[in-house]
Amino acid sequence: MKSQNKGQIRIIEAFLAVLIIFSSFAVSANLTVTQNTTKHDDLASVGLQALMKLDSDGSLGGYIDDGNWTALRAALNLVLSAGVCFNLTVYNEQMQQVNTAVISNGGFSSQEISFVEYVCASRGVVFRCYIIHLQLAVAT
Amino acid sequence: MKKCERKFKLNSSGQLLIVAALAIAILISSTTIYVYELSKETKGTDALSISNFALALKQSTKNTVMSSLANVSNGGEKAVLTINLNGFSRVLRSLNLFGICHLAFTPLNNSNYDGGVRLSWNASDVGISSAYANFTLNVYGQTAEIAVGYAINVTTSIAVNGSYTALESGEKLVNLTCKMFNEGEPALAKNITLFYENLGNWTLVDASNNLSIVDYGNGVYSITFTVKITSDVVPVSVHVHDLRDIFVKANTTCYKT
Repeated sequence: MKSQNKGQIRIIEAFLAVLIIFSSFAVSANLTVTQNTTKHDDLASVGLQALMKLDSDGSLGGYIDDGNWTALRAALNLVLSAGVCFNLTVYNEQMQQVNTAVISNGGFSSQEISFVEYVCASRGVVFRCYIIHLQLAVAT
Repeated sequence: MKKCERKFKLNSSGQLLIVAALAIAILISSTTIYVYELSKETKGTDALSISNFALALKQSTKNTVMSSLANVSNGGEKAVLTINLNGFSRVLRSLNLFGICHLAFTPLNNSNYDGGVRLSWNASDVGISSAYANFTLNVYGQTAEIAVGYAINVTTSIAVNGSYTALESGEKLVNLTCKMFNEGEPALAKNITLFYENLGNWTLVDASNNLSIVDYGNGVYSITFTVKITSDVVPVSVHVHDLRDIFVKANTTCYKT
């Protein structure tokens, strides 16, 4: 009877050891996911701030009204930090694409792409509203 | 003695297991709490993102009001403000990044504002073009909700005063000072056009009137020009577009100094 108990205790100990190891794995995995999400949100926040900065003096709406995609690309290059890849698409109220040229600064090599949706109202005498989709990634 | 020790070891192995289980339980609990705190931080980040999004929408709302005032002050219907804000609100409803967005607005109506628009161009020495509306923005997100109430006031105003001196040639040299403001702060003008009244007709002031406009860069413009009229006073009308294309005008009467 005593030797039987001893065997059971060994099994329980082994089981507990496995449990501890697996629980540590599970916790580490959760922590990694949380940190990635935070980084993801940071990049989206940077993108939103950049668009807000361009829109604060009405230049964002002005570039779109004028169809000046080269100037818009240059402005985004200036406002966004170095090492951030972007791809911007402009839609009208009917979600039809407005930009006739690609507004991007290169290919996305990163696996993690942040997405920002922004509504831009132009300040022109004739009111126009655009929906901007900005994709961002950190260049690797 | 050995037998006794062995017996103790066997007896205490169950207790050791309980202590070990407790320690593991504490470890798991503390780890769970830590992970929960971290996830709360992430939710805080979500709320921050929605706050930034709400700020961006507020800016776009202001742009919409500016565009509407530019339209109305340049001859458009006053209903343009409501039409544009309805259009903007409709676009917001189609967004789905943070959840459901709803923007409600109320244009200001009082003794000065009609449908959220005020064009006060007939008062002496001062001209005001303004639009004012109250907004309530609700964003119902998956992880956070936000409700913001705010007011947007877009106002372009000018203050004009001046006088004239009689020249030996019989002409009158008019000196004007025009101060321009956006929302009460000094602002720059895009263009300034002047008229003077002669025998009931408003005449454009141009280069033939030796027109000179000095821009001090701080919203103050010093204007001089000559006119050949017989009346004792010179009524002047100043028409200005600001950098946002909002039009405003003001009339003043210049007396001899």
